[in-house]
Amino acid sequence: MLRTNVNRGKRVNQIDSSKKKVNHVEFDAHWYRRIFHTFGASFLVYYLLPDLERINFFKFWIPILLVSFALFLECSRVKGKIDSGHFFGLRMYEKKRFGSYLYFGVGVLILLLFFPQQIAVPCILCACIVDPIMGELRNIVGKKQVYIIGFLICMFLFLITWHKANIWIMFLVSIVGAAAAVLSEVNKLWWLDDDFTIQIVPAVLLLIIWIIISYFGFAPPEPIIYSW
Amino acid sequence: MKNKEMYYLKLKRSDKSTVRTEILFAPLLIIFPIFVGILFIYDWFYRGFLTCSPAFDGELILGIVILVANILFDIPFIESLSRNIKGK
Repeated sequence: MLRTNVNRGKRVNQIDSSKKKVNHVEFDAHWYRRIFHTFGASFLVYYLLPDLERINFFKFWIPILLVSFALFLECSRVKGKIDSGHFFGLRMYEKKRFGSYLYFGVGVLILLLFFPQQIAVPCILCACIVDPIMGELRNIVGKKQVYIIGFLICMFLFLITWHKANIWIMFLVSIVGAAAAVLSEVNKLWWLDDDFTIQIVPAVLLLIIWIIISYFGFAPPEPIIYSW
Repeated sequence: MKNKEMYYLKLKRSDKSTVRTEILFAPLLIIFPIFVGILFIYDWFYRGFLTCSPAFDGELILGIVILVANILFDIPFIESLSRNIKGK
C-alpha cells in the first residue's frame, strides 16, 4: 500500500516536472512556420485514398470541416474573442487579418476539391516547398537569384507532374505555372496572402491551358498518383 | 509590406503555456510528412517496381521530393528547438 502511494507520488512529480519543462520551452517561430509549410505536402496523401463512395464522402467533408474550423478560430481571433497570444508564430501583419495558414488551407481545399490532380499537385507543392525555400534564400542570396532558383524549382515540380504529357505541352505548362507561382510569391498583398495566390493563380492559368489543349484535341496527361 | 510587419507577434508571459499545444503538435508536423513520403515510395515499389510499371514513377519522385523538403526544414527546426531547451 505504502509502496503504491510512493510510486504514485513519484509519477505525479515526474508529470509535474515534465509539464514545467514543456512550459519553459521556447519555440523558434521562424522554423516552426517553415515546417508548417512543408507539412502541407503531406495532404497529397488525399489522392492515395481509395475511390469508394463511402470514403469519397469523408474525402469531401473532412477537408471542408477542418478549414471551417480554422475559419471559425480566425474569425474569433480577429474579432478579439480569442487572444492572438494563443496562436503561435503569427506575424505582426496577421494581427488584424486572417492568419496565413487559413489562406493556405483554403487554397489547398479549393485545389483538392475542384481542380484535376495534375493541376493541384504541383500548385500545392509550390506553396509547401518553394515558398519556404525562397524565404530562406532571401537571407543568403540576392533577389534575382531567389526568383531564378524559385522559378527553376517550380518548373521541376510542374515537369514531374506533367511528364506524361506531350513534350511541348509539358514545357508550356511548366513555364507558365512556374512563372505564375513565382510572381504570386513576389507580389505580396496585405489582404490576400501569398500562400493562397501561389496556389490559385498558377492553377487557374493551367486550367485555361487544360481547356485550350482539350479544344485542340490534345489529351491532358494521366495523373501521377493512383488511388488504392 | 514593411519589414516591421514581418516580425512575429510576441507572447506574453501568461501565454507561454499555450506554446505547449505547439510542442504537442510538433511531432505530427515532423513525422507525418516523412510517413507520407515513405508511403509514396512504398506504393511505387509495390505497384510500380515489382510489376515493372512505369506509370508509378511519378509517385517515387513525389515521395523523394516530400521527404527531402521536409528533412531539409526539420533539421534546423529540431536544432533550434534543442538550442532553446539547452538555453533554459
